[in-house]
Amino acid sequence: MPRWGMVIDVKRCIACWGCTIACKEEHFLPPGVFWNRILIGETGKFPSSRKLIYPILCNHCSDAACVEACPTGATYVRVDGIVAVDDKKCVGCRACLVSCPYQQRTYYDQTVKDREYFPGQGKTAMELIGEKLYPFKLGTVIKCNFCMERLEEGMKKGLVPGRDEDASPACVNICPVNARIFGDLDDPDSVVSRLIMEKKGKQLKKEFGTEPAVYYID
Amino acid sequence: MKDKIDDLEKNMFPSDGTGLKPYEWMVRPTAQTQWIDDKGLFLWLAFFSSEIGAGLYFMSLFHEYRPGIILGWLITLILGGTIHVLYLGNPFRAWRMIMKPNTSELSRGVWIIGIFALLGFFQMTSQGGFNIVFNFIMGILCLLIISHGFVTMNVIRALPAWSSTMVLPLSLISGIWVGSQLLQMMFVMGGSGVLASGMEVWAKVFFLIYLICVLLYVWGTYHADKIAKESIVIQLKGKLSQIFYIGVGGVGLVIPALLILIMWEGNINGFLLFLRLIAVLVGDLALRYTIMKSAVYKPLF
Amino acid sequence: MTYKTDEIWEDKWVNTTCGVCYCGCGAKVRVVNGVPVKIEGIKESTMGGDGAGLCGKGAAGLMYYHDPNRIKKPLRRTNPEKGIGVDPMWKEIEWEEALEEISTRMKKIMEDDPNKILFTNQTMRASDGPHNHAYFYAQAFGVKNNGNFIIGGGSLHCGNAAHMLGGLIHGAWSIAPDWRYTKYVLKWGSSKGTGSGHSAMTNARLRADAIRRGTREVVFDPMGNFAGGKATEWVPILPGTDTAVGLAIANYILNTRGEIDELYLKAKTNFVYLIREDGTFIRHEKSNKPLVFDGKEGKIKEFDDNSIAHEDFSLYGEYEYKGEKVRPCFEALKQHLKQFTPQWASQISTVPVGTILKVAKDWVDNAQIGSTITIEGQSFPYRPVASVTFRGSQGHSNGIHQVAAIDLMSQLVGAEDVPGGTMGWPSKRRKYPGGQYERMPRIGEDGVLIPAVFYSHDPWPVHIPSVPCDNNGCVDFWTHCTLSHIPYVKERDYIHEKFGMGAKPEMIFGIAANFIISQSDWDVAVENFKDCFVVQMDLWVNETDQAIGDIILPDVSYLEKDCWSSEIDAFFFSGSPSNEDWFVHLQQPVAEPIGESRFFMDVYIDVAQRVGVLDKFNESLNNYYGVTDEALKIKPGEVLNWKQIGERYMRWVYGDDKEKVEKQGYATWHKPIEDVYWRWNTQSRCPVYMEFLLHDRRAVEKIIEDTGFELEMELDQYTPMPDWFVPTSHKELDSEYDLLAFSYRDILHTNNTTFQNPYVDEVSKMCPYTFTITLNRALADERGLADGDIIWLENRYGVKENGIVKTMEAQSPRVVGISGQGGLWADGRPIARGKGSNFCKLLPSYLRHYDPITGNIETAVAVKIYKDQGR
Repeated sequence: MPRWGMVIDVKRCIACWGCTIACKEEHFLPPGVFWNRILIGETGKFPSSRKLIYPILCNHCSDAACVEACPTGATYVRVDGIVAVDDKKCVGCRACLVSCPYQQRTYYDQTVKDREYFPGQGKTAMELIGEKLYPFKLGTVIKCNFCMERLEEGMKKGLVPGRDEDASPACVNICPVNARIFGDLDDPDSVVSRLIMEKKGKQLKKEFGTEPAVYYID
Repeated sequence: MKDKIDDLEKNMFPSDGTGLKPYEWMVRPTAQTQWIDDKGLFLWLAFFSSEIGAGLYFMSLFHEYRPGIILGWLITLILGGTIHVLYLGNPFRAWRMIMKPNTSELSRGVWIIGIFALLGFFQMTSQGGFNIVFNFIMGILCLLIISHGFVTMNVIRALPAWSSTMVLPLSLISGIWVGSQLLQMMFVMGGSGVLASGMEVWAKVFFLIYLICVLLYVWGTYHADKIAKESIVIQLKGKLSQIFYIGVGGVGLVIPALLILIMWEGNINGFLLFLRLIAVLVGDLALRYTIMKSAVYKPLF
Repeated sequence: MTYKTDEIWEDKWVNTTCGVCYCGCGAKVRVVNGVPVKIEGIKESTMGGDGAGLCGKGAAGLMYYHDPNRIKKPLRRTNPEKGIGVDPMWKEIEWEEALEEISTRMKKIMEDDPNKILFTNQTMRASDGPHNHAYFYAQAFGVKNNGNFIIGGGSLHCGNAAHMLGGLIHGAWSIAPDWRYTKYVLKWGSSKGTGSGHSAMTNARLRADAIRRGTREVVFDPMGNFAGGKATEWVPILPGTDTAVGLAIANYILNTRGEIDELYLKAKTNFVYLIREDGTFIRHEKSNKPLVFDGKEGKIKEFDDNSIAHEDFSLYGEYEYKGEKVRPCFEALKQHLKQFTPQWASQISTVPVGTILKVAKDWVDNAQIGSTITIEGQSFPYRPVASVTFRGSQGHSNGIHQVAAIDLMSQLVGAEDVPGGTMGWPSKRRKYPGGQYERMPRIGEDGVLIPAVFYSHDPWPVHIPSVPCDNNGCVDFWTHCTLSHIPYVKERDYIHEKFGMGAKPEMIFGIAANFIISQSDWDVAVENFKDCFVVQMDLWVNETDQAIGDIILPDVSYLEKDCWSSEIDAFFFSGSPSNEDWFVHLQQPVAEPIGESRFFMDVYIDVAQRVGVLDKFNESLNNYYGVTDEALKIKPGEVLNWKQIGERYMRWVYGDDKEKVEKQGYATWHKPIEDVYWRWNTQSRCPVYMEFLLHDRRAVEKIIEDTGFELEMELDQYTPMPDWFVPTSHKELDSEYDLLAFSYRDILHTNNTTFQNPYVDEVSKMCPYTFTITLNRALADERGLADGDIIWLENRYGVKENGIVKTMEAQSPRVVGISGQGGLWADGRPIARGKGSNFCKLLPSYLRHYDPITGNIETAVAVKIYKDQGR
């Protein structure tokens, strides 16, 4: 069984926000909910300061703080490494949300559901159809799932995640500069594993002991 | 034409409760909001209720004072429980929280409260309820419930201010201190003036420990970690400083201290005790509020 | 999550072209039950490459369809009063009524002078439909020389100087590094490969690969954000001073190091042409061709004399021709450059001397002069250094010299349109296999390339300035502008009067333009256009419409558009400038038009028919596409809509593959390597010595004298070699107005249309610089300003703009930065309202603020800043 992971090439990334918006469309996320975003910062002093760009998403940690915190087992690490939420088990206690050092979870309640992209003007046809196509359960916590439905559907057709569009996460597909590479961390010969080895991939907040499956190379 | 200048910020960077602009989120130390803002306020009140109820129960054990344990039991379960459910929003799903006591502090908490509910019920209804073994077991359960809120917060490594080692002693003593004040008030109201003035000695002791623990919490957390320090800075110098100085310091520490001094000779006064109880409750709520509200995440890079 | 499949009766992907900026990336749209729900790139097309990506605003394009603020019926102003802050009191009217009124007014004006009608293009939503057909649409009405085209408010990244030299040097609209092979890139006020410019995402993909391969990128920019923030090295520079650094580097190459690509200079530039003392070419008596000196035979010959081998052209020396002393203009250049020392350049630009010298040295070291590379079996000179510029550095009153200086360093080492060098977008478009449509550049006078296609005014052959002008842009006088900015000039009426321009503007027929707030001083723009009858086709009522619009017609968004021609000239604009195949994407409708909205090309045709100029327009279409097959031509009297025209022209363009191309939504075909690196396969010469400017100067001086024209114009700029001229913005600096405000393009935004997109709006808030005004942190400290403060920027003409401060380290301490065109207020675009700050309004529009040669506005401005006192 593979363990899915991602390498984000910060050197390539130009902070176009394609990942963020494609992700919102893929999962019909309401306003204010992001499963992908970009953090922009700066380090150093003029004139030798550097711009910092970090695209972030759920790290799908193998030792996830959220899984540890979840009192019901709704949040769990799947055998393929994806950290998923079973909305039938989630009671909405938000312990996971508070526990996540990366703050990658959102509590989906009526307030969130009621938000409109054009405030006060009603929901668009896209928002309405999204509630049918990709429904979220009220009072549960939602988060990036590495587009597991895409992965599963694709693999059923014999496609390879990370290589074939229809079996890869939406943020990987949209990236115009190929800054996102998806693949099997358990396979030492996969592109992701090799990049992590060669470019000394870094995980965010490694000190929390969460073992993220998302690596950054520079 | 362009909207009013005062609306510039509201238009472009509406507040999200963290006090940061959206582009500063997780780039600068970022406040947790889930467990204090909006519905999160229920959790603050729920933790507080369970704690004072258990505190009262705990103190009542020493006096084998049945009204005290009944009230404590009710506060913990009915008030604490109801507010917990209000926070969760769906009582029919909450039972699931017993599923993972091995890792999750919340599950453990539910188990402990469940056992506490069961055994407490036995204790308050059975004649020989106050025996040393039963008292000991209930005492331990009370201490676990008292600290439950803070332990739940304490295990969250992502928020260094909460995982500071000084949080636990503070939570224990605050529960005991508040519980003892409730009990003392009950004695007064129940006409047991002697018992009430007898407790005044303990009030001095508990208050002193409480004061020390608050100071230790501030000092210890400040020196624990760069991000934990940020939380203390927010409490002492930032937007929470008013609540901290007036609520925690003025109401929670200075007023009780004055009242203790006034009643130093043991000449307790029901009204002053009531005042002190209110001050202690408000002070503890303020302390919990600032601790919960000031917790910040470490930036991601 | 489970998909509720039983409720889904349609779930399909439609291939089309993104219409959010002018790049025209291939895009496929997922449509569920008739509702567009997702946009992705098209992997199979060359444009997407292995990435098949789209940028954030492209992905967000869905909202153009879903926006409830779209206008659904034509609107008519009922309040005769116009101006900013005046309620137009819109009334919905029927299309018939609207079109009748428009055409009746047009006919009446045309009886008098068609040049009284102004047209605008669609720079606010470019690539959204055929780019350039609007130009010859205007001509069908009898408008001359594209001079009645007012740019649709794209000043913030439209570049007359950049396009002029792009055309003259590369036969192309714009330039980019050859990312595939380059090793060392200099970017000057340009974000190519890091977010903007033409083919933005194609370039970004190529750049990312290059950077990973180890290509170094040095960015000269006032701020280290989109380009500088990603650079190997960011060099802070004052806006408008790139010329100084460029000339110092050129001086180093030529006079200090003395390492130049002589063969290239001899064969591919006009530096070998002989000039007199006064700098003008000596020409052959009969052929009028410039003359050169054949060093081998020791004879003066015509420049294109086949008997001269490349290496025998003389770059140096002094000769005698009919008793006159003559010398190759390269001699003049060598002397001219000597004055530009690094120390001098450093004082002007704030770039340290050491940095200038290091860059100059790295440039020459990386140029590998003399080396060759074999690609696809063919050998080419290999010059892996590229120096590119665009809107930033060219948008100054000295714009032409900025661009020429930046180009000069590439010329000296022969790094133009060869592997690794500076590339124009492909100068030609070969036929699609089996198709007929082809665009090939020609070689014009003096051996200079005439672009195969160029929007508006061709850069070559040049025309000597003349009066009277018969059009609002006065392009007869400002002959080198691509699109004239003159209609926006404060002294416009004076200019028109002096230059005999009698066609006072009476009507504007525009597409999605927002020129009132996105060009320069708003009040001047309102004053200049408010007396016109303004008709616009757009998705929303924007600021321009609200201020001065009379009739607003609902246009379809690109998602509802059936436009076979959308990217037909993509090679020149949206293609890959590097070694990648040609591609064209069609715009195919993804959903039904919103309300009664209609595609502007169909409205164009309808209006042309009503006015009686449709045959003329159709004829120009036949000519543009070069249709010679009688069966496919549009015949006189025929009325075809755009789709019906496409039915015929698609056959012409794609031959038997028409249906296949329609089905897949795009075409891609092989670009031969010699068409990529065409420089040495084409017998053309770069007119780097701009001798024509000397003749221009004489003509301009005479006109000024004859007409008694009294406005200030820096005529010294009419000089053939790049030279340093102080930009107007710098001249207006003093102790009070002590900072230079500049603007830059944010990757998330296309002018101001994207401000109305809620997806883009949401993520803009998560960008520290998009909605804010940026200041260097030390500067802010010194002024007592901090993040979140509200400040005012005020120019010396009393125009003010406010905004929220964001401090940053990576910005020159002498500038203030605003990204693009915020500060919006139109009621028709509530998402956009109140977001960001508007830079354009701060730009003064006196003629002295314009580049005298191209008429391009100075896009930096001296301002004072102060904290808002209300808080």
